[in-house]
Amino acid sequence: MTVLTQSRKPRFAAETMTPYTFITPAILVMLGGLLYPVFMAFYLSFYDWEIGRDLAKAPFLGVDNFVRMVQDPQVWEVLWVTLRFGFWTITIEMTLGVALALLLEKPIRGASIFRTIFILPLMVSPVVVGLIWRYLFDARIGWINYYLGAFFGIEPQVWLGDADLAFFAIVFTDIWQWTPFIFIIVIAGLQALPSEVVEASTIDGANWYQQIFLVKLPMIKSILIIALLMRLIDVFRGLEVMLIMTGGGPGRSTELLSLHIYNRAFDTQQLGYASAISVLLILIVFAISTAILTMANPMKSKSDV
Amino acid sequence: MKHVLKKGLLSMGALAFITAAAFANPYEKYEGTTIVVSWPALSHFKKAEELVAEFTEETGIEVEIDALQYLKLRDRQLLEMSKDEGEYDVVSWVVMWKGEYVSKGLLTPLSQFYTSGSLVDPNYDLDDIADAYLQNGGIVGGKKGYMPGKSGAMYGVPFGAETSILAYRKDIFEEQGLKVPETYDELRDVMQKLHEAGIPALTSRGKTGHQITAAWLLHLAPLGGKIFDDQWNPVINSPEAVEAAQVLREVAQTGPKGIPTFGFGEAAAAFLQGEAAMHLDTLKIAAMSRDPKLSKIDGKVGYALHPVGSRCGSETGGFAAGIPANAPNKEAAFLFLQYITSKAGDQRMVELGGDPVRISTLENNADKFDEYAVVAEQLPCADPDWRPLIPEWNELNIDVLGQALTEVITTDKPIQPIMDAANEKARAIMEREGYYLWQ
Repeated sequence: MTVLTQSRKPRFAAETMTPYTFITPAILVMLGGLLYPVFMAFYLSFYDWEIGRDLAKAPFLGVDNFVRMVQDPQVWEVLWVTLRFGFWTITIEMTLGVALALLLEKPIRGASIFRTIFILPLMVSPVVVGLIWRYLFDARIGWINYYLGAFFGIEPQVWLGDADLAFFAIVFTDIWQWTPFIFIIVIAGLQALPSEVVEASTIDGANWYQQIFLVKLPMIKSILIIALLMRLIDVFRGLEVMLIMTGGGPGRSTELLSLHIYNRAFDTQQLGYASAISVLLILIVFAISTAILTMANPMKSKSDV
Repeated sequence: MKHVLKKGLLSMGALAFITAAAFANPYEKYEGTTIVVSWPALSHFKKAEELVAEFTEETGIEVEIDALQYLKLRDRQLLEMSKDEGEYDVVSWVVMWKGEYVSKGLLTPLSQFYTSGSLVDPNYDLDDIADAYLQNGGIVGGKKGYMPGKSGAMYGVPFGAETSILAYRKDIFEEQGLKVPETYDELRDVMQKLHEAGIPALTSRGKTGHQITAAWLLHLAPLGGKIFDDQWNPVINSPEAVEAAQVLREVAQTGPKGIPTFGFGEAAAAFLQGEAAMHLDTLKIAAMSRDPKLSKIDGKVGYALHPVGSRCGSETGGFAAGIPANAPNKEAAFLFLQYITSKAGDQRMVELGGDPVRISTLENNADKFDEYAVVAEQLPCADPDWRPLIPEWNELNIDVLGQALTEVITTDKPIQPIMDAANEKARAIMEREGYYLWQ
């Protein structure tokens, strides 16, 4: 058995510590900006506090807000809406985004123009996206009803006033805005693939299907996971589009968890209770992110073991 | 002699002082002060901007306006008023927030200004302001906590206040040979006939939350219903409340397409664009129908009293304005409030296209605007207690009724169980807030 020895620098040598010294201020600012709101959410979740009242005099409730949350059917209702919304949007966005990236990765004529047009929705602010689609889906003046009527003879629908149609409308809008995000990430990954590997697989006789599913997609697996993770976090975080398009209605058919927290905090002024639900949201996002990263750690390799 | 001279001089001095005081400019002391006003970005307030400019010109008091979408005002105002030193000198609130603002100690009682000889204009005449508006938007206390009474106190002055009237298309009613409805039975009959003739009948708010509850409340008061009995027990599943929900369902079924998505703006737009035969909501529709930028139906609109159910009753809503407890320039703020709601200010608002709050203004201008005579006749019936203005109302309004009523108009489910469930939720909220501790 050979024992390898290696000369090591002292752990706290100036040379080793320099990079840490430089990044410390950035880390402190980031931790302050991140930890303070999280800490406040935890803190407020134990109190009955409303904006306009002195926080120091807010009644301490212990875990009452959490007990109420667990017993509150509204929370489970909006969580279910969020999960359904996440399932449909992410499944379709991932499929469409990857498919389009595979179609457009080759330098075909007009591909760059198409790519530019295609990523335009990403550049629009969510507030504007909400407004645009609210008017497009409008029952009275919306283009969607107009064209469905003009070309297909379909009766005007009250898109945002019917629970099922409104859910479809927000899913559709999300797909419209975020498929380009998946597309742009995946196409960047595909174009960064070493051409030798792809060429080698061609020489080895791999057909189109084998090239995609056995060579290209496995090689960009880590990129796909990052894209999936970012969209999942966005689904739990985002509220602007729903707030503007439907306000969460009709009923709670389009009320996502984050919008429910917003409504609780600002419409019904229950900051403590809203904070308790925020804690739930933080835990869900943390659990999902950890699970995905653990199951498919892109940085992990056998050599680390 | 010396004594007499001294006495004479003193008398002359006193007279000169009194004369000077009588002709003194009450605004002089505040010249150069800048007050900050938070109010909604709504038509009446946009029109008031010219009056504000005239106020500055006349008084030397500068006014900075922070105008926001009206349902967003509350968050901003609450945040600003809960600081030790706020930026706002005047805030204008939707009447349903007054109880919350006062219970949190965020507003200044106005009695201290109305009893100050140097600030109050002797010609102001508070009694001339429509009583229902004053009670609804400005007074907090009394037996219910949001009305006049022995513990009632004034915190705000109505500005941009409103009641409901029926606006209808004269041309459509004439073509169809219909009589303008005076009762709820007649209204439902007319809605049905218009629907059968292929004409969308009555437009309405219907969007989940505050908007749909406001639409239902419009029918609840005249149909004899209320939200609570005298012991704060919710009675939103009473026969009257269920009937009001039934009316709302019929409105959605016979009205223009899209009512479940309509807020006030969309409902009004449907009427103003000629897509509905009637509009039963705030009187603000009258000024909007005259505005060529908004309306295709100018000259075709008639106005009538809010139909009567088991009693006459119309909403009282809109806005009142007051002074935050942490306002830096309270006296100048009061002078501003007094100016814009004075007789001259109210008249000027009419000339600018806004809505008056004074009975004398309505009467003096009745020949100029068709709706003014109707409004003056409607105001004695306007019900300042048509909805409870308690801090818990926001949750009941948005979270309980706002959800239940959406179910009423978007499904065919029986209404009674929906309202029973809402009643239970409302009771749980009241219980949580400690309303039954004394029972």
